[in-house]
Amino acid sequence: MSEKNSLVRVEHLVKKFPVSAGLFKTSKSFIHAVDDISFEIGYGSSLGLVGESGCGKTTTGKLLTRLYDPTSGLIEINDPKVGQVDLATLKGQDLKEFRGRVQIIFQDPYESLNPRRTIFDTVAEPLVVQGMGNITQREEQVSTLLETVGLTPASSFLFRYPHELSGGQRQRVAIARALVVNPSFVVADEPTSMLDVSIRIGVMQLMMELANKMGVSYLYITHDLAVARYMCQRIAVMYIGKIIEKAPTEELLANPLHPYTQALISAVPVPDPEFQRQAIPIKGGVSAPIDPPDQCRFYNRCPFADDFCRDNPHPPLEDKGDGHFVACYKV
Amino acid sequence: MTEQMLQVKDLTMHYKTSKGEVSAVNNVSFVVEKGQSLGLVGESGCGKTSIAFSLLRLLPDNAEIKGGDIILDGDNITEMDKKELLKVRWKGISMVFQAAMNALNPIFTVGEQIVEAIQVHNQEINVAEATVSVAELFTLVGLDPKLMDRYPHEFSGGMRQRAVIAMALACHPKLIIADEPTTALDVIVQDRILSQLKEIQQRLDMSMIYISHDIAVIAEVSDQIGVMYAGRMAELAKSNEIFKRPIHPYTYALMGAFPSIKGPKKSLTTLPGEPPDLLNPPSGCRFHPRCPRATVQCRQEVPPFIEHNPEHFAACWHPMEVENE
Repeated sequence: MSEKNSLVRVEHLVKKFPVSAGLFKTSKSFIHAVDDISFEIGYGSSLGLVGESGCGKTTTGKLLTRLYDPTSGLIEINDPKVGQVDLATLKGQDLKEFRGRVQIIFQDPYESLNPRRTIFDTVAEPLVVQGMGNITQREEQVSTLLETVGLTPASSFLFRYPHELSGGQRQRVAIARALVVNPSFVVADEPTSMLDVSIRIGVMQLMMELANKMGVSYLYITHDLAVARYMCQRIAVMYIGKIIEKAPTEELLANPLHPYTQALISAVPVPDPEFQRQAIPIKGGVSAPIDPPDQCRFYNRCPFADDFCRDNPHPPLEDKGDGHFVACYKV
Repeated sequence: MTEQMLQVKDLTMHYKTSKGEVSAVNNVSFVVEKGQSLGLVGESGCGKTSIAFSLLRLLPDNAEIKGGDIILDGDNITEMDKKELLKVRWKGISMVFQAAMNALNPIFTVGEQIVEAIQVHNQEINVAEATVSVAELFTLVGLDPKLMDRYPHEFSGGMRQRAVIAMALACHPKLIIADEPTTALDVIVQDRILSQLKEIQQRLDMSMIYISHDIAVIAEVSDQIGVMYAGRMAELAKSNEIFKRPIHPYTYALMGAFPSIKGPKKSLTTLPGEPPDLLNPPSGCRFHPRCPRATVQCRQEVPPFIEHNPEHFAACWHPMEVENE
């Protein structure tokens, strides 16, 4: 992919959090939450970021919306309206303006909506912050959008409060709030994991429809590979702050190359009692990302690890053809 | 013939709230045989956890069992007094809860808590003997017995869940209820815990009830599956049967809405509307407002829970695929 046709280009992105300890809260060690990751997202396409708890996927999402400041690295956004911007170093008024182009949808619709604000106030807030339109225009825009996300008739929802809505409806409000400023890029952090099965598919389909209609690209963060399969063209797998494999979705699921990805895919339960799943066992648990040793992050759990893996730094992502990248010396 | 371990007949349970009575469990019947597992699957508020609490009679003050029988190995739990109930809990039925952190007391070591549980229910056992059996339990659930002296906060999520399973096994219960035992865990840990639970169940020839919203998890561990909707049992059959030939439109919709990573990518189907408010449940079949096959009869009359195919029960006036004689 050349620079021209990708909306988001992330290069060598790093985020370290200090670990405070001792009497004076001095920090000598760091949590390497996101450790030198690079990826691209094309226009109108979505990238799934999958991995287990604590692997750094949510931190990545927050870096890409600048809710966290990166320690180092480049976040280049080629927005058709604003042009090319390095989001990683944006400050002040420029950053505020840019927030109109990049939005986020959070996991828990019970916590991400302010209980004291009406649905109209909630959805219109990004417009107010960005100084877009007057009150009549805002009301019109919010009404249209509520109808689009399936809250019909909009007039019956505008002046209700979050506690009057169900979980699925609340998540639709959160989606409307993210899309009201017409962003080009949205980070969706587990947007359906709190919803019931029968509601979940509706919200997933809505997000896909809106992506097609409004030309939005998603960074779709999820722990659920099955959901990622339906939402994303490409998937990147994270393990302790590193992207260890990325490939087009069906290619990754059919032909995983990294031993961790293989174990992860083999552990997903299949809704068919006759399917005989062959689980690939891996030892131990995820180690804490506090000052990890300079070797493959998966070294201590990998069934194929040898002295070479122990003595060399974390392997780089290598192209294995057809856009399939993997970070492993043994592949 | 296999032996019936638990029989639940026409169980009905209500919660009294300031807004009126919530009909949380309505005429639910099922049987769990010895050494077999039943999976209860359904969405939030469908009554699956309320059934679990009814079986243990661990209900809050505003809940009332309105009718029905719960017969565990010949004893009727609905008729028991407090003293008898104490004997049933832990020894008859024990439970593995979803939030393992909340199920363990943070100020005692994990070992102490299990020793206490054993001693409360078997007064003749002394601490040394109980400690030996805790070590055995730890090994059984895949924990190092050396970890007995650790506190819950020193355990990872998966280890805590194992400790809670060890505790549930402590008094050799006849039946274990596992309420969303792996929902808070990552997929690799979930896989290990589920296979361990399944292995223990088979080795000890125990009966199990699994409760989950995740039909894939239920499919892996259950011999029999019950699909709940809005406080009622919609469909009940052997796992293979229910996946091959779902009868109830809700079961069918639930399966169509579940993404899988295996096989060809099928298109997912949505279910219109939202689950009903159980303060004012819909008349007739509670699924009728969302059902594509609903007719006037569905709106007016409650469908009976009957055997449509051999050992395949469902409550539906217009079942999907019933074999004609």
